[in-house]
Amino acid sequence: MSNYHETFEGCTIEIKDDTYLTINDKEIDYEHTLENQKWSSRYLPYTQYDSLIDLAQAIVRDTSEFKPVISH
Amino acid sequence: MAIRKDANTLSTAERAEFVAAVHELKRTGIYDQFVLRHANANMRAIHRSPAFLPWHRRYIWDFEQELQRVSGNPNLGLPYWNWPEGGANASMWDDDLLGGNGDVGTQIVNRGPFRASQWTIVSSSGAPAGPLTRNFGSQGWAQTLPTLDEIEQVLALTPYDVSPWNEFVNTGFRNQLEGFDGPNLHNRGHGWVAGSMLPMTSPNDPIFFMHHCMVDKLWHEWQLRFPNQGYLPVSGAAFGQNLTDPMAATNATPIGPRPLDVLDSSALNIQYDQLLAGTLPPPSTQPDIIALTIGSPVDASISIPGEEDLYSFEVPAFGSYTIETTGPSDTFMTLFGPDNPNQQIAANDDGGQGLNSRISQTLAAGTYLVHIRLYSPNSTGNYTIGVESNAVDTTIPDINVDGPAINAAISVGRESDLYHFRIDNQGTYTVETEGSTDTFLTLLGPDDQTAEIAMDDDSGMFLNSRIRAQLTPGEYFARVRHYSDFGTGPYSVSVHSG
Repeated sequence: MSNYHETFEGCTIEIKDDTYLTINDKEIDYEHTLENQKWSSRYLPYTQYDSLIDLAQAIVRDTSEFKPVISH
Repeated sequence: MAIRKDANTLSTAERAEFVAAVHELKRTGIYDQFVLRHANANMRAIHRSPAFLPWHRRYIWDFEQELQRVSGNPNLGLPYWNWPEGGANASMWDDDLLGGNGDVGTQIVNRGPFRASQWTIVSSSGAPAGPLTRNFGSQGWAQTLPTLDEIEQVLALTPYDVSPWNEFVNTGFRNQLEGFDGPNLHNRGHGWVAGSMLPMTSPNDPIFFMHHCMVDKLWHEWQLRFPNQGYLPVSGAAFGQNLTDPMAATNATPIGPRPLDVLDSSALNIQYDQLLAGTLPPPSTQPDIIALTIGSPVDASISIPGEEDLYSFEVPAFGSYTIETTGPSDTFMTLFGPDNPNQQIAANDDGGQGLNSRISQTLAAGTYLVHIRLYSPNSTGNYTIGVESNAVDTTIPDINVDGPAINAAISVGRESDLYHFRIDNQGTYTVETEGSTDTFLTLLGPDDQTAEIAMDDDSGMFLNSRIRAQLTPGEYFARVRHYSDFGTGPYSVSVHSG
């Protein structure tokens, strides 16, 4: 078991014990499918990811819940 | 009837009408309600499961109804994104419809009607979340759009879905159309646009509705190709996924909330401009219309699953009428008119004896059309249909010219109230409504309940109607309905000289 921590596009991604994912301290539910070793989340319904880190980065990058609002 | 067209083929006027309607929905907050309905639904209740297709069919149908309402055009059809012809250079991405790709680097859409200064997306909590973003072909798993060959490959698959009814099944139509198996059709469209089309808030991008219109068209074509392959499962899957379960985040009105309620596209008045070469048009597109005589029931049958029988009848004068079926079949009835085969007045499932349908309605003079189908699209059966004139007081309320207004109400959706008034001296007269209801007024006559003189929506105060016309002596009729098919509310109506 290991822990992971990074700041990605301004958000703090933490994974404790290879399992517990938080983004900016918010716990993120996800699904890990053993059959194909894919990770997915209710935030991103249209694809699956090859690792929990890939999923976490995609949530930060592609959902409006975590990325800072761009003014226009 | 609204016809759903390839977005690339829309005329300049059709593009402008669609864009204006979408902006009106955005301005009034209704568009964002659609975003939140999708964003806050349980992800697995509407994706990666059998209800994926019926849920989105109902969702975009509801959106289309709203487009028609705000545009005032019941024939406005939701355009579809024809993927093989819908790449970055397609005309649907021009600045008069969707605008194009986002800017390099920021991904922000800065062209077209949904550019940054004109359109703000919302998060799943409804908070403003900045401009629309797109990044065509940027996702490694979605660098190209589905081809016609890939579409045909998926359209050949049966059955509809298989256990365990999720994204891991490697056979069946639904999962390959959705995109977790096979060539990946639907998911790839989201991924190809990228940006705002990637998360559960993807309806923030209006292309979402054209994308799902294409998905729905392909399901429709699959249903036409395999009329004996029904929706699965009937039972045994998670609640909300079975044929007669209510689906998540789906209203029970104006049509039912179950997959069963949306299986028949024709019953929802869904029609596409063209079908693929391998799809035969539905057998009931050009049915015979059987003329009914009031008081003379006729025996009939639905002999092919999914068949719909059409009947017409003439109402000679304003009055109360009952149209109903009898017999052993579970019928579903829809009534259209007067003198307009596309204007739905009422629909009924089990208002008659047993599982029969019945519509009792006050009707103005004119020609009416009745659609009869069986509730289950997989069933056949016999029934008898008849129209009766009800023995009730059918006196048309009189409005006294220059007298007090009559207080009334539209108490059910699509109600149409008829009034009579007499003009003795030629002159200018004003017919108008007052109150808080968005009324629509039609003036008819002289001496004829069906001859239209004028129509008006909002010329009165606020959302009221007002018609000012030169009238010769004679009998006149004023018909009042709500502007929206589903609207109700109180109003008063009066006629005065001048």
